[in-house]
Amino acid sequence: MKKYFSIFKISFAQEFAYRVNFIMWRVRNVLQILLVFFLWSAVYTNPQTELFGYNREKILTYVFGIFILRALVLSSGSVDIAGEIARGDLTNYLLKPINYIKYWFTRGISSKVLNLGFATVEILILYFFLKPEFFIQTNPLQLLFFLSAVILAVVMFFSLLVLVNFITFWLPEGGWASQFLIIVIFTEFLSGAVFPIDILPQTIQNILYSLPFPYLLFFPLQIYLGKLSTQATLQGLAISGMWMTVLIVAMRRMWASGIKKYSAVGR
Amino acid sequence: MDKAIIVDHLVKNFEVVERKKGITGVISSFVSPKKKTVRALREISFSIKPGELVAFIGPNGAGKTTTLKVLSGLLYPTSGFTQVLGFDPWKRNPKFLKDISLVMGQKNQLWWDLPAIETLELNKAIYEIPERTYKESLNELVNMLDVKKLLNIQVRRLSLGQRMRLELVAALIHKPKMLFLDEPTIGLDVVAQARMRDFIFEYNKQQGATILLTSHNMDDVINLAKRVIVIDKGKILFDGDLRELVSRYAKEKIIKVYLSKESDIKQLEKIGKVKKIDFPQAVLVVPRATAAAAAAELLHHFPVADLTIEEEPVDEIIRKVFSGEVKVAKMK
Repeated sequence: MKKYFSIFKISFAQEFAYRVNFIMWRVRNVLQILLVFFLWSAVYTNPQTELFGYNREKILTYVFGIFILRALVLSSGSVDIAGEIARGDLTNYLLKPINYIKYWFTRGISSKVLNLGFATVEILILYFFLKPEFFIQTNPLQLLFFLSAVILAVVMFFSLLVLVNFITFWLPEGGWASQFLIIVIFTEFLSGAVFPIDILPQTIQNILYSLPFPYLLFFPLQIYLGKLSTQATLQGLAISGMWMTVLIVAMRRMWASGIKKYSAVGR
Repeated sequence: MDKAIIVDHLVKNFEVVERKKGITGVISSFVSPKKKTVRALREISFSIKPGELVAFIGPNGAGKTTTLKVLSGLLYPTSGFTQVLGFDPWKRNPKFLKDISLVMGQKNQLWWDLPAIETLELNKAIYEIPERTYKESLNELVNMLDVKKLLNIQVRRLSLGQRMRLELVAALIHKPKMLFLDEPTIGLDVVAQARMRDFIFEYNKQQGATILLTSHNMDDVINLAKRVIVIDKGKILFDGDLRELVSRYAKEKIIKVYLSKESDIKQLEKIGKVKKIDFPQAVLVVPRATAAAAAAELLHHFPVADLTIEEEPVDEIIRKVFSGEVKVAKMK
Protein backbone atom coordinates (compact mmCIF):
# COMPACT_ATOMS: atom_id res chain seq x y z
CA MET A 1 0.00 0.00 0.00
CA LYS A 2 2.88 2.29 0.84
CA LYS A 3 4.03 1.80 -2.72
CA TYR A 4 0.93 3.40 -4.09
CA PHE A 5 1.01 6.21 -1.58
CA SER A 6 4.46 7.13 -2.87
CA ILE A 7 3.12 7.11 -6.42
CA PHE A 8 0.36 9.41 -5.22
CA LYS A 9 2.91 11.84 -3.81
CA ILE A 10 5.19 11.91 -6.85
CA SER A 11 2.22 12.41 -9.18
CA PHE A 12 1.19 15.36 -7.10
CA ALA A 13 4.66 16.87 -7.34
CA GLN A 14 4.65 16.29 -11.10
CA GLU A 15 1.45 18.32 -11.56
CA PHE A 16 3.13 21.35 -10.05
CA ALA A 17 6.29 21.01 -12.11
CA TYR A 18 5.08 23.43 -14.75
CA ARG A 19 3.75 26.40 -12.83
CA VAL A 20 2.51 28.45 -15.75
CA ASN A 21 0.79 25.46 -17.25
CA PHE A 22 -0.90 24.76 -13.97
CA ILE A 23 -2.14 28.31 -13.53
CA MET A 24 -3.45 28.38 -17.10
CA TRP A 25 -5.34 25.18 -16.47
CA ARG A 26 -7.07 26.72 -13.48
CA VAL A 27 -7.82 29.95 -15.32
CA ARG A 28 -9.40 27.95 -18.11
CA ASN A 29 -11.57 26.19 -15.54
CA VAL A 30 -12.81 29.43 -14.03
CA LEU A 31 -13.53 30.95 -17.44
CA GLN A 32 -15.49 27.86 -18.41
CA ILE A 33 -17.63 28.14 -15.31
CA LEU A 34 -18.28 31.84 -15.95
CA LEU A 35 -19.15 31.22 -19.58
CA VAL A 36 -21.71 28.54 -18.78
CA PHE A 37 -23.10 30.53 -15.87
CA PHE A 38 -23.79 33.63 -17.95
CA LEU A 39 -25.16 31.58 -20.83
CA TRP A 40 -27.79 29.90 -18.68
CA SER A 41 -28.50 33.09 -16.71
CA ALA A 42 -29.37 34.74 -20.00
CA VAL A 43 -31.66 31.88 -20.98
CA TYR A 44 -33.46 32.05 -17.63
CA THR A 45 -33.70 35.84 -17.27
CA ASN A 46 -37.31 35.52 -16.25
CA PRO A 47 -37.34 33.66 -12.90
CA GLN A 48 -40.58 31.93 -13.87
CA THR A 49 -39.07 30.25 -16.94
CA GLU A 50 -38.97 26.48 -16.84
CA LEU A 51 -37.43 24.51 -19.69
CA PHE A 52 -37.36 20.69 -19.93
CA GLY A 53 -38.30 20.49 -16.26
CA TYR A 54 -35.43 22.72 -15.16
CA ASN A 55 -36.01 26.03 -13.48
CA ARG A 56 -33.25 28.58 -13.00
CA GLU A 57 -32.14 27.20 -9.66
CA LYS A 58 -31.94 23.62 -10.87
CA ILE A 59 -30.18 24.36 -14.14
CA LEU A 60 -27.54 26.38 -12.33
CA THR A 61 -27.08 23.61 -9.79
CA TYR A 62 -26.84 21.21 -12.73
CA VAL A 63 -24.16 23.28 -14.41
CA PHE A 64 -22.11 23.73 -11.26
CA GLY A 65 -22.65 20.12 -10.27
CA ILE A 66 -21.33 18.98 -13.63
CA PHE A 67 -18.18 21.00 -13.03
CA ILE A 68 -17.49 19.30 -9.72
CA LEU A 69 -18.37 15.89 -11.09
CA ARG A 70 -16.17 16.36 -14.12
CA ALA A 71 -13.27 17.13 -11.84
CA LEU A 72 -14.01 13.92 -9.97
CA VAL A 73 -14.96 11.51 -12.72
CA LEU A 74 -13.62 12.69 -16.06
CA SER A 75 -10.28 14.10 -14.97
CA SER A 76 -7.98 11.45 -16.28
CA GLY A 77 -4.84 13.00 -14.88
CA SER A 78 -2.09 12.44 -17.34
CA VAL A 79 -3.18 9.06 -18.59
CA ASP A 80 -0.58 8.37 -21.20
CA ILE A 81 -0.82 4.61 -21.29
CA ALA A 82 -1.14 4.59 -25.09
CA GLY A 83 2.01 6.68 -25.41
CA GLU A 84 3.93 4.52 -22.98
CA ILE A 85 3.00 1.40 -24.89
CA ALA A 86 3.78 2.92 -28.28
CA ARG A 87 7.13 4.38 -27.17
CA GLY A 88 8.09 1.29 -25.24
CA ASP A 89 8.25 3.05 -21.89
CA LEU A 90 5.98 0.35 -20.51
CA THR A 91 9.14 -1.74 -20.20
CA ASN A 92 10.21 0.35 -17.20
CA TYR A 93 7.15 -0.79 -15.28
CA LEU A 94 7.30 -4.41 -16.38
CA LEU A 95 10.76 -4.63 -14.84
CA LYS A 96 9.50 -3.57 -11.44
CA PRO A 97 7.41 -5.28 -8.79
CA ILE A 98 4.44 -3.05 -9.42
CA ASN A 99 0.94 -3.40 -10.87
CA TYR A 100 0.68 -1.15 -13.89
CA ILE A 101 -3.11 -0.72 -13.73
CA LYS A 102 -3.06 0.11 -10.03
CA TYR A 103 -0.20 2.48 -10.72
CA TRP A 104 -2.29 4.51 -13.15
CA PHE A 105 -5.36 4.30 -10.95
CA THR A 106 -3.33 5.84 -8.14
CA ARG A 107 -2.10 8.59 -10.42
CA GLY A 108 -5.66 9.22 -11.49
CA ILE A 109 -6.82 9.53 -7.88
CA SER A 110 -3.95 11.90 -7.17
CA SER A 111 -4.94 14.11 -10.04
CA LYS A 112 -8.60 14.00 -8.97
CA VAL A 113 -7.78 15.06 -5.43
CA LEU A 114 -5.77 17.98 -6.76
CA ASN A 115 -8.39 18.96 -9.29
CA LEU A 116 -11.23 18.66 -6.79
CA GLY A 117 -9.36 20.69 -4.21
CA PHE A 118 -8.80 23.58 -6.58
CA ALA A 119 -12.22 23.31 -8.18
CA THR A 120 -13.89 23.57 -4.76
CA VAL A 121 -11.97 26.71 -3.87
CA GLU A 122 -12.69 28.28 -7.24
CA ILE A 123 -16.38 27.49 -7.05
CA LEU A 124 -16.64 28.84 -3.52
CA ILE A 125 -15.10 32.10 -4.65
CA LEU A 126 -17.37 32.32 -7.67
CA TYR A 127 -20.36 31.46 -5.49
CA PHE A 128 -19.48 34.35 -3.24
CA PHE A 129 -19.40 36.79 -6.17
CA LEU A 130 -22.24 35.48 -8.28
CA LYS A 131 -24.60 34.48 -5.46
CA PRO A 132 -26.63 32.02 -7.53
CA GLU A 133 -29.52 30.12 -5.96
CA PHE A 134 -28.32 26.60 -5.36
CA PHE A 135 -30.19 23.47 -4.62
CA ILE A 136 -28.66 21.78 -1.58
CA GLN A 137 -29.51 18.13 -1.10
CA THR A 138 -30.01 17.31 2.58
CA ASN A 139 -31.51 13.82 2.56
CA PRO A 140 -28.69 11.55 3.87
CA LEU A 141 -29.97 8.51 1.97
CA GLN A 142 -29.96 10.47 -1.25
CA LEU A 143 -26.41 11.67 -0.52
CA LEU A 144 -25.34 8.10 0.13
CA PHE A 145 -26.80 7.00 -3.19
CA PHE A 146 -25.04 9.93 -4.84
CA LEU A 147 -21.69 8.94 -3.34
CA SER A 148 -22.07 5.31 -4.46
CA ALA A 149 -22.95 6.44 -7.97
CA VAL A 150 -19.86 8.67 -8.08
CA ILE A 151 -17.54 5.89 -6.96
CA LEU A 152 -18.99 3.55 -9.57
CA ALA A 153 -18.57 6.29 -12.18
CA VAL A 154 -14.94 6.91 -11.26
CA VAL A 155 -14.02 3.23 -11.61
CA MET A 156 -16.10 2.89 -14.77
CA PHE A 157 -14.48 5.82 -16.51
CA PHE A 158 -11.01 4.71 -15.47
CA SER A 159 -11.55 1.20 -16.86
CA LEU A 160 -13.01 2.57 -20.05
CA LEU A 161 -10.12 4.93 -20.58
CA VAL A 162 -7.48 2.28 -19.86
CA LEU A 163 -9.26 -0.17 -22.10
CA VAL A 164 -9.21 2.28 -24.97
CA ASN A 165 -5.53 2.97 -24.34
CA PHE A 166 -4.76 -0.75 -24.45
CA ILE A 167 -5.80 -0.80 -28.12
CA THR A 168 -2.27 0.48 -28.72
CA PHE A 169 -0.95 -3.02 -28.01
CA TRP A 170 -2.44 -4.11 -31.33
CA LEU A 171 -2.50 -0.81 -33.21
CA PRO A 172 0.52 1.23 -32.15
CA GLU A 173 -0.64 4.24 -34.15
CA GLY A 174 -4.29 3.99 -33.16
CA GLY A 175 -4.08 5.10 -29.54
CA TRP A 176 -4.74 8.77 -29.99
CA ALA A 177 -7.58 8.46 -32.48
CA SER A 178 -9.56 5.93 -30.46
CA GLN A 179 -9.01 7.89 -27.27
CA PHE A 180 -10.33 11.00 -28.93
CA LEU A 181 -13.38 9.20 -30.27
CA ILE A 182 -14.33 7.56 -26.99
CA ILE A 183 -13.46 10.36 -24.63
CA VAL A 184 -14.40 13.45 -26.52
CA ILE A 185 -17.30 12.30 -28.64
CA PHE A 186 -19.02 9.65 -26.58
CA THR A 187 -18.23 10.73 -23.06
CA GLU A 188 -18.74 14.44 -23.50
CA PHE A 189 -22.00 14.18 -25.40
CA LEU A 190 -23.61 11.12 -23.89
CA SER A 191 -22.72 11.59 -20.24
CA GLY A 192 -24.57 14.86 -19.75
CA ALA A 193 -21.46 17.02 -19.67
CA VAL A 194 -22.64 19.35 -22.40
CA PHE A 195 -26.43 19.27 -21.93
CA PRO A 196 -28.85 17.41 -19.64
CA ILE A 197 -29.75 14.07 -21.22
CA ASP A 198 -33.44 14.35 -20.37
CA ILE A 199 -33.93 17.04 -22.99
CA LEU A 200 -33.48 14.31 -25.61
CA PRO A 201 -36.42 12.31 -27.09
CA GLN A 202 -37.54 9.42 -24.88
CA THR A 203 -36.45 6.65 -27.32
CA ILE A 204 -32.89 7.97 -27.45
CA GLN A 205 -32.84 8.29 -23.68
CA ASN A 206 -33.94 4.67 -23.34
CA ILE A 207 -31.07 3.51 -25.54
CA LEU A 208 -28.58 5.69 -23.67
CA TYR A 209 -29.59 4.30 -20.30
CA SER A 210 -28.48 0.84 -21.33
CA LEU A 211 -25.00 2.23 -22.13
CA PRO A 212 -22.38 3.17 -19.54
CA PHE A 213 -22.08 6.85 -20.52
CA PRO A 214 -25.05 8.49 -18.69
CA TYR A 215 -23.92 6.82 -15.48
CA LEU A 216 -20.69 8.79 -15.52
CA LEU A 217 -22.13 12.26 -14.85
CA PHE A 218 -25.81 12.59 -15.55
CA PHE A 219 -27.11 9.79 -13.35
CA PRO A 220 -25.15 10.74 -10.18
CA LEU A 221 -26.26 14.33 -10.59
CA GLN A 222 -29.91 13.33 -11.04
CA ILE A 223 -29.68 11.51 -7.72
CA TYR A 224 -28.25 14.62 -6.09
CA LEU A 225 -30.99 16.80 -7.55
CA GLY A 226 -33.58 14.34 -6.19
CA LYS A 227 -35.11 13.76 -9.59
CA LEU A 228 -35.16 9.97 -9.39
CA SER A 229 -37.39 7.61 -7.43
CA THR A 230 -35.69 5.12 -5.10
CA GLN A 231 -36.56 2.34 -7.52
CA ALA A 232 -35.03 4.17 -10.48
CA THR A 233 -31.96 4.97 -8.39
CA LEU A 234 -31.42 1.35 -7.39
CA GLN A 235 -31.97 0.19 -10.94
CA GLY A 236 -29.43 2.72 -12.22
CA LEU A 237 -26.89 1.72 -9.59
CA ALA A 238 -27.34 -1.92 -10.60
CA ILE A 239 -26.75 -1.12 -14.26
CA SER A 240 -23.66 0.94 -13.57
CA GLY A 241 -22.37 -1.79 -11.24
CA MET A 242 -22.85 -4.27 -14.03
CA TRP A 243 -21.06 -2.04 -16.54
CA MET A 244 -18.23 -1.49 -14.09
CA THR A 245 -17.74 -5.25 -13.73
CA VAL A 246 -17.83 -5.80 -17.48
CA LEU A 247 -15.31 -3.03 -18.08
CA ILE A 248 -12.93 -4.25 -15.37
CA VAL A 249 -13.00 -7.81 -16.69
CA ALA A 250 -12.46 -6.60 -20.26
CA MET A 251 -9.58 -4.36 -19.15
CA ARG A 252 -7.87 -7.22 -17.32
CA ARG A 253 -8.27 -9.57 -20.28
CA MET A 254 -6.87 -6.99 -22.64
CA TRP A 255 -3.91 -6.40 -20.37
CA ALA A 256 -3.13 -10.11 -20.12
CA SER A 257 -3.11 -10.67 -23.86
CA GLY A 258 -1.66 -7.22 -24.53
CA ILE A 259 1.57 -7.75 -22.64
CA LYS A 260 2.07 -11.02 -24.49
CA LYS A 261 1.81 -9.04 -27.67
CA TYR A 262 3.99 -6.24 -26.39
CA SER A 263 7.37 -7.11 -27.68
CA ALA A 264 9.39 -4.24 -26.33
CA VAL A 265 10.73 -3.65 -29.81
CA GLY A 266 12.22 -0.24 -30.42
CA ARG A 267 12.73 0.43 -26.78
CA MET B 1 22.27 -22.08 -6.54
CA ASP B 2 25.35 -22.82 -8.58
CA LYS B 3 24.18 -21.05 -11.72
CA ALA B 4 22.79 -17.53 -11.92
CA ILE B 5 21.56 -17.98 -15.47
CA ILE B 6 20.71 -21.13 -17.38
CA VAL B 7 19.68 -20.85 -21.01
CA ASP B 8 19.00 -24.00 -22.96
CA HIS B 9 17.99 -24.13 -26.62
CA LEU B 10 16.29 -20.77 -26.40
CA VAL B 11 14.34 -19.74 -29.49
CA LYS B 12 12.64 -16.40 -30.04
CA ASN B 13 10.76 -15.54 -33.21
CA PHE B 14 9.14 -12.22 -34.03
CA GLU B 15 6.27 -11.71 -36.41
CA VAL B 16 6.67 -8.60 -38.45
CA VAL B 17 4.45 -7.10 -41.09
CA GLU B 18 6.24 -6.40 -44.32
CA ARG B 19 5.45 -3.19 -46.07
CA LYS B 20 6.46 -2.35 -49.59
CA LYS B 21 7.46 1.19 -50.36
CA GLY B 22 5.17 3.85 -51.75
CA ILE B 23 1.48 4.50 -51.50
CA THR B 24 0.48 1.19 -53.12
CA GLY B 25 2.60 -0.59 -50.55
CA VAL B 26 0.83 1.16 -47.72
CA ILE B 27 -2.56 0.25 -49.13
CA SER B 28 -1.72 -3.37 -49.88
CA SER B 29 -0.23 -3.89 -46.42
CA PHE B 30 -3.36 -2.34 -44.95
CA VAL B 31 -5.69 -4.61 -46.92
CA SER B 32 -3.76 -7.84 -46.64
CA PRO B 33 -0.76 -7.55 -44.34
CA LYS B 34 2.03 -9.96 -45.22
CA LYS B 35 3.56 -11.46 -42.14
CA LYS B 36 7.12 -12.57 -41.95
CA THR B 37 8.79 -14.49 -39.17
CA VAL B 38 12.11 -13.12 -37.99
CA ARG B 39 14.16 -15.68 -36.15
CA ALA B 40 15.92 -13.52 -33.58
CA LEU B 41 17.36 -16.36 -31.48
CA ARG B 42 18.01 -19.81 -32.90
CA GLU B 43 18.52 -22.31 -30.11
CA ILE B 44 21.11 -20.58 -28.01
CA SER B 45 22.46 -22.24 -24.87
CA PHE B 46 24.80 -20.97 -22.18
CA SER B 47 25.05 -20.63 -18.42
CA ILE B 48 26.53 -18.04 -16.13
CA LYS B 49 27.81 -18.45 -12.60
CA PRO B 50 26.91 -16.04 -9.78
CA GLY B 51 29.29 -13.09 -9.67
CA GLU B 52 30.50 -13.44 -13.25
CA LEU B 53 30.83 -10.46 -15.56
CA VAL B 54 30.12 -11.51 -19.11
CA ALA B 55 30.05 -9.41 -22.27
CA PHE B 56 27.75 -10.15 -25.13
CA ILE B 57 29.14 -8.96 -28.42
CA GLY B 58 27.87 -9.07 -31.95
CA PRO B 59 26.75 -6.80 -34.77
CA ASN B 60 23.44 -4.93 -34.81
CA GLY B 61 20.48 -7.27 -34.95
CA ALA B 62 22.50 -10.25 -33.76
CA GLY B 63 20.11 -10.99 -30.91
CA LYS B 64 21.96 -9.48 -27.95
CA THR B 65 19.22 -7.19 -26.73
CA THR B 66 16.58 -9.83 -27.42
CA THR B 67 18.47 -12.20 -25.13
CA LEU B 68 18.63 -9.59 -22.37
CA LYS B 69 14.92 -8.93 -22.75
CA VAL B 70 14.04 -12.61 -22.51
CA LEU B 71 16.26 -12.97 -19.44
CA SER B 72 14.68 -9.99 -17.70
CA GLY B 73 11.16 -11.22 -18.37
CA LEU B 74 10.13 -8.71 -21.02
CA LEU B 75 9.73 -11.20 -23.85
CA TYR B 76 8.01 -14.53 -23.94
CA PRO B 77 10.39 -17.10 -25.36
CA THR B 78 9.07 -19.02 -28.37
CA SER B 79 10.60 -22.22 -27.06
CA GLY B 80 13.49 -23.46 -24.94
CA PHE B 81 14.36 -23.21 -21.28
CA THR B 82 15.49 -20.14 -19.35
CA GLN B 83 16.11 -19.76 -15.66
CA VAL B 84 17.47 -16.67 -13.91
CA LEU B 85 18.24 -16.78 -10.18
CA GLY B 86 16.04 -19.86 -9.97
CA PHE B 87 13.00 -18.17 -11.55
CA ASP B 88 11.22 -18.36 -14.86
CA PRO B 89 11.78 -14.75 -16.01
CA TRP B 90 8.56 -14.33 -17.97
CA LYS B 91 6.42 -15.14 -14.95
CA ARG B 92 7.69 -11.83 -13.55
CA ASN B 93 7.50 -12.98 -9.96
CA PRO B 94 7.86 -9.93 -7.67
CA LYS B 95 10.70 -11.66 -5.80
CA PHE B 96 12.53 -12.10 -9.09
CA LEU B 97 11.91 -8.50 -10.14
CA LYS B 98 13.32 -7.24 -6.85
CA ASP B 99 16.58 -9.02 -7.60
CA ILE B 100 17.21 -7.88 -11.14
CA SER B 101 17.73 -4.68 -13.06
CA LEU B 102 17.94 -3.88 -16.74
CA VAL B 103 19.66 -0.69 -17.81
CA MET B 104 19.31 0.40 -21.39
CA GLY B 105 21.54 3.19 -22.59
CA GLN B 106 18.84 4.76 -24.70
CA LYS B 107 15.95 4.70 -22.25
CA ASN B 108 15.30 6.39 -18.99
CA GLN B 109 13.12 5.80 -16.00
CA LEU B 110 13.80 9.08 -14.20
CA TRP B 111 10.86 11.50 -14.12
CA TRP B 112 11.76 14.19 -16.56
CA ASP B 113 10.19 17.16 -14.78
CA LEU B 114 11.32 16.31 -11.26
CA PRO B 115 14.67 16.05 -9.50
CA ALA B 116 16.12 12.54 -9.57
CA ILE B 117 15.72 12.17 -5.82
CA GLU B 118 11.94 11.92 -6.33
CA THR B 119 12.28 8.92 -8.62
CA LEU B 120 14.68 7.36 -6.14
CA GLU B 121 12.17 7.81 -3.32
CA LEU B 122 9.52 6.25 -5.54
CA ASN B 123 11.75 3.27 -6.29
CA LYS B 124 12.40 2.89 -2.59
CA ALA B 125 8.66 2.43 -2.09
CA ILE B 126 8.18 0.21 -5.15
CA TYR B 127 10.99 -2.14 -4.16
CA GLU B 128 9.97 -1.92 -0.50
CA ILE B 129 13.48 -1.01 0.64
CA PRO B 130 13.78 -0.36 4.39
CA GLU B 131 14.72 3.23 5.25
CA ARG B 132 18.15 2.39 6.59
CA THR B 133 19.17 0.12 3.71
CA TYR B 134 17.95 2.78 1.31
CA LYS B 135 20.08 5.49 2.90
CA GLU B 136 23.14 3.24 2.90
CA SER B 137 22.87 2.20 -0.73
CA LEU B 138 22.01 5.72 -1.81
CA ASN B 139 25.10 7.06 -0.09
CA GLU B 140 27.28 4.37 -1.54
CA LEU B 141 26.02 4.80 -5.10
CA VAL B 142 26.08 8.58 -4.93
CA ASN B 143 29.70 8.52 -3.82
CA MET B 144 30.79 5.92 -6.35
CA LEU B 145 29.19 7.81 -9.21
CA ASP B 146 29.87 11.29 -7.83
CA VAL B 147 26.35 12.63 -8.24
CA LYS B 148 25.62 14.10 -4.82
CA LYS B 149 25.17 17.62 -6.21
CA LEU B 150 22.88 16.45 -9.00
CA LEU B 151 20.22 14.74 -6.92
CA ASN B 152 18.08 17.83 -6.41
CA ILE B 153 18.24 19.23 -9.91
CA GLN B 154 15.38 18.72 -12.35
CA VAL B 155 16.34 15.85 -14.61
CA ARG B 156 15.67 17.78 -17.80
CA ARG B 157 18.36 20.28 -16.87
CA LEU B 158 21.10 17.65 -16.69
CA SER B 159 23.57 16.60 -19.37
CA LEU B 160 23.40 13.13 -20.90
CA GLY B 161 26.40 11.89 -18.91
CA GLN B 162 25.00 13.20 -15.65
CA ARG B 163 21.62 11.70 -16.41
CA MET B 164 23.10 8.31 -17.25
CA ARG B 165 24.87 8.18 -13.91
CA LEU B 166 21.65 9.02 -12.11
CA GLU B 167 19.83 6.43 -14.19
CA LEU B 168 22.31 3.93 -12.88
CA VAL B 169 21.65 5.00 -9.30
CA ALA B 170 17.92 4.51 -9.90
CA ALA B 171 18.51 1.09 -11.44
CA LEU B 172 20.74 -0.10 -8.62
CA ILE B 173 19.11 1.41 -5.55
CA HIS B 174 17.49 -1.94 -4.73
CA LYS B 175 20.84 -3.75 -4.92
CA PRO B 176 20.00 -6.23 -7.66
CA LYS B 177 21.90 -9.52 -7.66
CA MET B 178 21.53 -9.72 -11.42
CA LEU B 179 22.30 -6.78 -13.63
CA PHE B 180 21.64 -6.57 -17.35
CA LEU B 181 23.35 -3.66 -19.10
CA ASP B 182 22.46 -2.86 -22.68
CA GLU B 183 24.95 -0.45 -24.24
CA PRO B 184 25.74 1.30 -20.96
CA THR B 185 28.22 3.74 -22.52
CA ILE B 186 26.28 4.71 -25.64
CA GLY B 187 26.40 8.43 -26.36
CA LEU B 188 28.85 9.24 -23.59
CA ASP B 189 32.15 11.07 -24.06
CA VAL B 190 35.43 9.29 -23.45
CA VAL B 191 35.81 10.49 -19.86
CA ALA B 192 32.26 9.57 -18.95
CA GLN B 193 32.71 6.18 -20.60
CA ALA B 194 35.77 5.41 -18.52
CA ARG B 195 33.95 6.49 -15.39
CA MET B 196 31.02 4.23 -16.20
CA ARG B 197 33.34 1.29 -16.81
CA ASP B 198 35.16 1.82 -13.52
CA PHE B 199 31.85 1.85 -11.77
CA ILE B 200 30.60 -1.36 -13.38
CA PHE B 201 33.86 -3.10 -12.52
CA GLU B 202 33.69 -1.91 -8.90
CA TYR B 203 30.03 -2.82 -8.53
CA ASN B 204 30.69 -6.33 -9.75
CA LYS B 205 33.57 -6.75 -7.33
CA GLN B 206 32.00 -5.12 -4.27
CA GLN B 207 28.47 -6.47 -4.50
CA GLY B 208 29.31 -9.79 -6.09
CA ALA B 209 26.56 -9.08 -8.56
CA THR B 210 26.27 -11.08 -11.75
CA ILE B 211 26.52 -8.76 -14.72
CA LEU B 212 25.66 -9.42 -18.33
CA LEU B 213 26.41 -6.55 -20.65
CA THR B 214 26.20 -5.85 -24.34
CA SER B 215 28.27 -3.23 -26.05
CA HIS B 216 29.54 -2.05 -29.35
CA ASN B 217 32.29 -0.27 -27.57
CA MET B 218 35.33 -2.54 -27.63
CA ASP B 219 36.92 -0.68 -24.75
CA ASP B 220 34.00 -1.77 -22.58
CA VAL B 221 34.53 -5.38 -23.51
CA ILE B 222 38.32 -5.40 -23.21
CA ASN B 223 38.40 -3.59 -19.90
CA LEU B 224 35.51 -5.30 -18.18
CA ALA B 225 34.89 -8.84 -19.27
CA LYS B 226 37.07 -11.88 -18.97
CA ARG B 227 34.44 -13.99 -20.63
CA VAL B 228 32.77 -13.04 -23.88
CA ILE B 229 29.90 -14.56 -25.80
CA VAL B 230 29.97 -13.75 -29.50
CA ILE B 231 26.55 -13.88 -31.09
CA ASP B 232 25.54 -13.35 -34.69
CA LYS B 233 22.30 -14.00 -36.56
CA GLY B 234 20.75 -15.49 -33.44
CA LYS B 235 23.47 -18.07 -32.90
CA ILE B 236 26.35 -18.24 -30.47
CA LEU B 237 29.65 -18.29 -32.35
CA PHE B 238 32.05 -18.23 -29.45
CA ASP B 239 31.75 -18.53 -25.69
CA GLY B 240 34.88 -18.34 -23.60
CA ASP B 241 37.88 -16.34 -22.48
CA LEU B 242 38.51 -13.10 -24.31
CA ARG B 243 42.22 -13.97 -24.66
CA GLU B 244 41.32 -17.30 -26.19
CA LEU B 245 39.17 -15.53 -28.76
CA VAL B 246 42.08 -13.31 -29.61
CA SER B 247 44.70 -16.03 -29.85
CA ARG B 248 42.42 -18.23 -31.90
CA TYR B 249 41.53 -15.61 -34.45
CA ALA B 250 44.62 -13.47 -34.54
CA LYS B 251 46.04 -14.85 -37.77
CA GLU B 252 48.42 -11.98 -38.29
CA LYS B 253 51.05 -9.99 -36.48
CA ILE B 254 51.94 -6.37 -36.82
CA ILE B 255 55.53 -5.22 -37.37
CA LYS B 256 56.39 -1.61 -36.73
CA VAL B 257 59.74 -0.44 -38.07
CA TYR B 258 61.53 2.89 -37.80
CA LEU B 259 63.75 3.42 -40.78
CA SER B 260 66.86 5.52 -40.50
CA LYS B 261 66.85 6.36 -44.21
CA GLU B 262 64.07 6.74 -46.69
CA SER B 263 63.81 3.57 -48.76
CA ASP B 264 61.74 1.99 -51.46
CA ILE B 265 58.18 1.14 -50.46
CA LYS B 266 57.94 -1.46 -53.20
CA GLN B 267 60.71 -3.38 -51.58
CA LEU B 268 58.83 -3.33 -48.29
CA GLU B 269 55.75 -4.73 -49.94
CA LYS B 270 57.61 -7.88 -50.87
CA ILE B 271 57.91 -8.71 -47.19
CA GLY B 272 54.37 -8.03 -46.01
CA LYS B 273 51.24 -5.96 -46.50
CA VAL B 274 52.14 -2.32 -45.90
CA LYS B 275 49.39 -0.84 -43.85
CA LYS B 276 50.75 2.60 -43.24
CA ILE B 277 53.82 4.60 -44.13
CA ASP B 278 54.62 7.78 -42.37
CA PHE B 279 58.34 8.20 -42.60
CA PRO B 280 60.30 7.21 -40.56
CA GLN B 281 57.63 4.77 -39.33
CA ALA B 282 56.20 1.92 -41.42
CA VAL B 283 53.54 -0.57 -40.32
CA LEU B 284 53.43 -4.01 -41.90
CA VAL B 285 50.99 -6.85 -41.46
CA VAL B 286 52.42 -10.35 -41.84
CA PRO B 287 51.08 -13.86 -41.29
CA ARG B 288 51.62 -15.08 -37.74
CA ALA B 289 53.76 -18.06 -38.73
CA THR B 290 56.28 -16.07 -40.73
CA ALA B 291 56.51 -13.02 -38.48
CA ALA B 292 59.99 -13.88 -37.19
CA ALA B 293 61.35 -14.55 -40.67
CA ALA B 294 59.88 -11.30 -41.95
CA ALA B 295 61.49 -9.37 -39.13
CA ALA B 296 64.85 -10.94 -39.82
CA GLU B 297 64.57 -10.04 -43.49
CA LEU B 298 63.70 -6.45 -42.62
CA LEU B 299 66.73 -6.13 -40.37
CA HIS B 300 68.89 -7.66 -43.06
CA HIS B 301 67.82 -5.60 -46.06
CA PHE B 302 66.70 -2.23 -44.66
CA PRO B 303 68.25 0.55 -42.61
CA VAL B 304 66.24 -0.21 -39.47
CA ALA B 305 66.55 2.03 -36.42
CA ASP B 306 63.96 0.23 -34.35
CA LEU B 307 61.54 -2.66 -34.79
CA THR B 308 58.66 -4.08 -32.74
CA ILE B 309 56.36 -7.07 -33.30
CA GLU B 310 52.85 -6.63 -31.91
CA GLU B 311 49.63 -8.59 -31.64
CA GLU B 312 46.67 -7.38 -33.62
CA PRO B 313 44.44 -5.13 -31.50
CA VAL B 314 41.46 -6.95 -29.97
CA ASP B 315 38.88 -4.65 -31.49
CA GLU B 316 40.38 -5.28 -34.92
CA ILE B 317 39.96 -9.02 -34.46
CA ILE B 318 36.40 -8.66 -33.26
CA ARG B 319 35.63 -6.40 -36.18
CA LYS B 320 36.95 -9.08 -38.52
CA VAL B 321 34.88 -11.73 -36.81
CA PHE B 322 31.76 -9.62 -37.39
CA SER B 323 32.51 -8.67 -40.94
CA GLY B 324 33.13 -12.30 -41.83
CA GLU B 325 36.78 -11.80 -42.77
CA VAL B 326 37.57 -14.45 -40.21
CA LYS B 327 35.30 -17.46 -40.17
CA VAL B 328 34.44 -18.60 -36.69
CA ALA B 329 33.72 -22.29 -36.48
CA LYS B 330 30.88 -23.17 -34.14
CA MET B 331 32.24 -24.57 -30.93
CA LYS B 332 31.45 -28.02 -29.48
